[in-house]
Amino acid sequence: MPRFLHTADWQIGRYYSRFENDDGVALAEARFTAIERLARLAVDERCDAVLVAGDVFDAQTVSDRAIRRVFNAMAGFSGPWVLLPGNHDAALAESVWTRARRLNAVPDNAHLALEPGVVELRQQSLAVLAAPLTQRHTHSDLTEGFDELETAEGLVRVGLAHGSVQGLLAEGIDSANPIAADRAVQARLDYLALGDWHGVKQINSRTWYSGTPEAERFRNNDAGVALVVEIASPGAEPVVTRHATGQYAWVQWKEQISVATDLDELLARLSELSAPAVVDLKLSGVVDLAGERRLLQALSVAEAKHRSVQCDRSGLSLQPTDDDIAALNADGYLGEVIADLRELQVSEDQSRAQTSREALAILTTVLMERTGTTEEASS
Amino acid sequence: MKIQRLRIEQLRQFRQPLTLDDLDPGLNLIHGPNESGKSTLVRAIRAAFFERHRSSSVDDLRPWGDSSAAPTVELEFVTGERSWHLKKRFLQQKRCDLEVGGEAFSGEEAEDKLADLLGFQFASRGASQDKHWGIPGLLWVEQGSGQNIHDAVAYAGDHLQSALNSLLGEVASSGGDDVILQIQSQRAELLTATGKPRGDYARLGEEQHSLASELESLEERISQYQALVDRLGELRQRHQQNERERPWEAARQKFQEAERRSREIEQWQQEQQREQQALRDCQENLKLLRQQQQQAEAATNKLETRAQHLKACQGALESLRARENQTAEAQAAAQKAYENARSQVRVAKEQEQRARLENDLRQVQQQLEGVEQNLTQARHYLTELQATRQQLQVNPIDLKALENLRALHRQLEEERIRSHAIATRLHYRLEEGETLSVGGETVEGEGDRLLLAETAVLLPGLGQLTITPGGDDLASVQRRLERLQENYESQLRSLNVASPEQAEQMAAEQAQRTQNLQRLEGLLASLAPRGVETLAAQQQELDNRRQQLQAEQQALPETSADAGTVASAEATQEIAEQRLREADLQLQEHSKQQYAAVQNLANAEKEWQQLKDELENSGRQAELRALQQSVMETGEREARLNQSVSERQSRIDDARPQLIQQDIERYRASAEQLEKGHQKEALELTGLQSKLESQGAEGLEEQRDELAARLEHVRRRYRELHQRAEALDLLLGLLQDKRQALTRRLQAPLQKHLNHYLGVLFPKATLDVDDNLIPGQLTRAVPQGQERGSLQELSFGAREQMGLISRLAYADLLQEAGRPTLIILDDTLVHSDKQRLDQMKRVLFDAARRHQILLFTCHPENWRDLGVAPRDLQTIKTGNE
Repeated sequence: MPRFLHTADWQIGRYYSRFENDDGVALAEARFTAIERLARLAVDERCDAVLVAGDVFDAQTVSDRAIRRVFNAMAGFSGPWVLLPGNHDAALAESVWTRARRLNAVPDNAHLALEPGVVELRQQSLAVLAAPLTQRHTHSDLTEGFDELETAEGLVRVGLAHGSVQGLLAEGIDSANPIAADRAVQARLDYLALGDWHGVKQINSRTWYSGTPEAERFRNNDAGVALVVEIASPGAEPVVTRHATGQYAWVQWKEQISVATDLDELLARLSELSAPAVVDLKLSGVVDLAGERRLLQALSVAEAKHRSVQCDRSGLSLQPTDDDIAALNADGYLGEVIADLRELQVSEDQSRAQTSREALAILTTVLMERTGTTEEASS
Repeated sequence: MKIQRLRIEQLRQFRQPLTLDDLDPGLNLIHGPNESGKSTLVRAIRAAFFERHRSSSVDDLRPWGDSSAAPTVELEFVTGERSWHLKKRFLQQKRCDLEVGGEAFSGEEAEDKLADLLGFQFASRGASQDKHWGIPGLLWVEQGSGQNIHDAVAYAGDHLQSALNSLLGEVASSGGDDVILQIQSQRAELLTATGKPRGDYARLGEEQHSLASELESLEERISQYQALVDRLGELRQRHQQNERERPWEAARQKFQEAERRSREIEQWQQEQQREQQALRDCQENLKLLRQQQQQAEAATNKLETRAQHLKACQGALESLRARENQTAEAQAAAQKAYENARSQVRVAKEQEQRARLENDLRQVQQQLEGVEQNLTQARHYLTELQATRQQLQVNPIDLKALENLRALHRQLEEERIRSHAIATRLHYRLEEGETLSVGGETVEGEGDRLLLAETAVLLPGLGQLTITPGGDDLASVQRRLERLQENYESQLRSLNVASPEQAEQMAAEQAQRTQNLQRLEGLLASLAPRGVETLAAQQQELDNRRQQLQAEQQALPETSADAGTVASAEATQEIAEQRLREADLQLQEHSKQQYAAVQNLANAEKEWQQLKDELENSGRQAELRALQQSVMETGEREARLNQSVSERQSRIDDARPQLIQQDIERYRASAEQLEKGHQKEALELTGLQSKLESQGAEGLEEQRDELAARLEHVRRRYRELHQRAEALDLLLGLLQDKRQALTRRLQAPLQKHLNHYLGVLFPKATLDVDDNLIPGQLTRAVPQGQERGSLQELSFGAREQMGLISRLAYADLLQEAGRPTLIILDDTLVHSDKQRLDQMKRVLFDAARRHQILLFTCHPENWRDLGVAPRDLQTIKTGNE
């Protein structure tokens, strides 16, 4: 009754340029710890083996240290690991894998499926049919070979491949590394473990994408998961269970602020968001000085709580109310300037509008500081 | 504000109180000469307002030399419909009292109230300076400073602004300028004055570029790396395939096959060579045999030739013999002719000899005759010569002695003359026939005797007379005479002559002979220069020669025939000799030819005979037949060989041995190249492997990602700063625009007042006012159009006029804003010409309708037509007003 962990797309060596340095480093670090968590999960779930469906590494030329750390992180699970080269870490003549071997970093229980064929794990009653990428991109279905591959009697046939299941993407897109949707049936597989899709996705009862164990984009849904697959015997339906492995939730919100309550609602959601998360906000609409102050306050709080909080306010025009202006003591032509800047923000020209917003923010800041100091002086 | 009354006391030259009252609410003209106290009045007014009454810096107010004085100023004026009364005392018992509409103030409170009213500040310490004077500083013009409006307006700026603000309501911004300053300083952090990035902003821009290029180069390296990986894969695959297939071995096999084939052909070629040699030998042999055949044929031909030759030899000999006699005869004839010619020559020579001898003989005969003639003559001369010479030697006369005799004769004569002179003269004349003896000498007739010695005269008949001459030296003369006579006579004796005449005769003869001798000698020399003997010998010699010649002549044989000249005879002989020589030669040649012909004939006969014998030999016929046979056989063999060789050659050619050689080379090279290439690939593979290993260890893509992240951060930060810079730019621009617009609004009323006055001076002119309300550009109409220029560029007089106009405009503005105005002009417009001054008077008169003006001057005549009564300070002082 083989039971194994299906994971993929570790993307070790990924850098996050959009974040501040320390955030980027922490996020990269989370990818290593994800492997440790997977190992623990395999142990906890009493898995017989771990199958990794490609893109273990994000690039061929990652540092030696990164390579060693990957294999070190696998130490928590002493059963067999079957690692498949994906499009990011294809088994080229010289590849991250050949380097790993040269570095003597590969432990005995890690099987590198660098060539198409069967990795037989007799002890675990598993025959893993591997379709590694040996070029960066192929346009033929590498799993076709599975149809012809024979495996020993009594072993569960599990396919391990990396690519795009055809028909899944929009028509007309000539995706690289295609995989036939009915490969599991065609090749009499008990299970086809796929990688490349970063969110968990079931194609059919025997074909799954596990997704990446640690999210690394805002776009993929259902990332940060690993699958535990149990197959009673050859030919039996696989039983697949999801297990969350992600450390950080990646949240991206695009919000339109029109009235004060919109802002209230947003701020409430932000404060309720479970930590630690990676947050990306893109706001548009209108906000007055008080709203802006509240927003900045909330963002400041969120920044301290989450891994990263980014907020794009370029679409959010700052519109001080008359009361605001009065409070700022913006008499005479200062008032006129504020009025002008308010108008400029609704300009067609996006960058002009943004510049005006910034200009108004600067002016109000200066004015608030002035009123602040006068208030202090008067008090 | 209208001052109604001014009183001063103990102030500078006004030690006594001076009161100026009933001041007009409009124009007041106060005049007085220099130092009459006009400026002191102005100073007093200034002190009343600007100087703290406690100030110790107002010593200038004190009258000269009066240290106890307490300068006092008292002012009464109306403003804001309230009466003000101010009294201020300085230096001593300092006080300040102010009464406003029944309310009393004193001290600093009073002073501050005034400052507030008029708009000025007090100096924090020391005397009040123009920078504190504010509005009054602008409206109260000191002597000679009317043209300088700039500073005055600057010092009054705040007061003017606030007046304007109150005039226009709350349009100005309370903190606007401050905000602008802050925005400017924020902008300056990012941008330079010219709008170029600076500081972090600039640095980020550069960093962004350098990172981008770094990233690009890294990308380049990565793509190179990937290309190398691809190459490695390709290479490895090929290498493995070659390792399996070993294509060089196939090539090598082909090479060996080609070599085997080549060896086979080589064998053929060797056989061919051998057979070709045999063919060549056979052909050579055939050639020799044919030659022999040809030689046999040639021998037969030769015999014929020899026979012909023999015949020719015989012919030649016969013809030579035929010509033999002819040749001999010719030679004999030539011999004879030659002999003839020779005898002719001999005869001619004898003839010539004889003619020569005859000629010689004739010549000798002639010479001989000449010589004989000369000889005869010479002998005659010689005889004569010898006779003369003998005569000369017989009776020679000594010419020297003769000379001596002549001298003695002369002396004797002279002495006799001298004795006659002193002698006693005895003259006698005797009768005819009578004689006398004198000194023994008988005398007759008449004569004289000179008596030197005692002479006895015998008178015949009579006796003797002895006469003794007198005189002392008569005796010595007598003696000398006697001595000379003796010498003379001895000389005659030695000469062997009786008289000197005889001697002379003899000398003449002797000279004649000597001359004769010389002539003879000359003649002889010409005839016989070498002597007569020589001549005789010559004669003898010639005679001998003649005899010899005659003998020779006789020896010559007699000839009769004329043989002609020797030369022609000899020429004939020479020709004859030549002919003889030729004839000899011909004869000789002929015999030689004949001999040779005989010899030839013999040889020809012999050769002919020999060849004939030879050909007629019987063995030779057999030989010729055998030769014929041999030639036939060899020809057949050659044909056989020829066929075999050409057959084999075509076989060799068909096999294309050159191509086979090329194949060998090609297969050999291919095999080698393939194997080498394989080895090289193996090397490249290892090299590539190690290169990739080392590059892989650098973690290029990880570096790339890291760099990209850094670049992204820099870009983001740069964008933020850029955004901020643009925002600040926009904001600052807006603020400045607004402020300027505001200033323009504020300037409008001032502009209005300015143009009001300016129009009087320059119709249609405008005077611009800058942000600080200071007049700047003047635009006025000139005949050419418009003229623009700064106020500073105008003449002093015009600047003063503009200054005054501006001040009046400010006064109007202030009044409009409800501020008190008072205008004090101390000797102003002194630099204006009459025309301008007239216009300025109109301006002043107009202004005085709204403001009180105190005008002090020392030129009252300039201001006569101002429409006010001038007040003379002198009169006021004396209280006569």
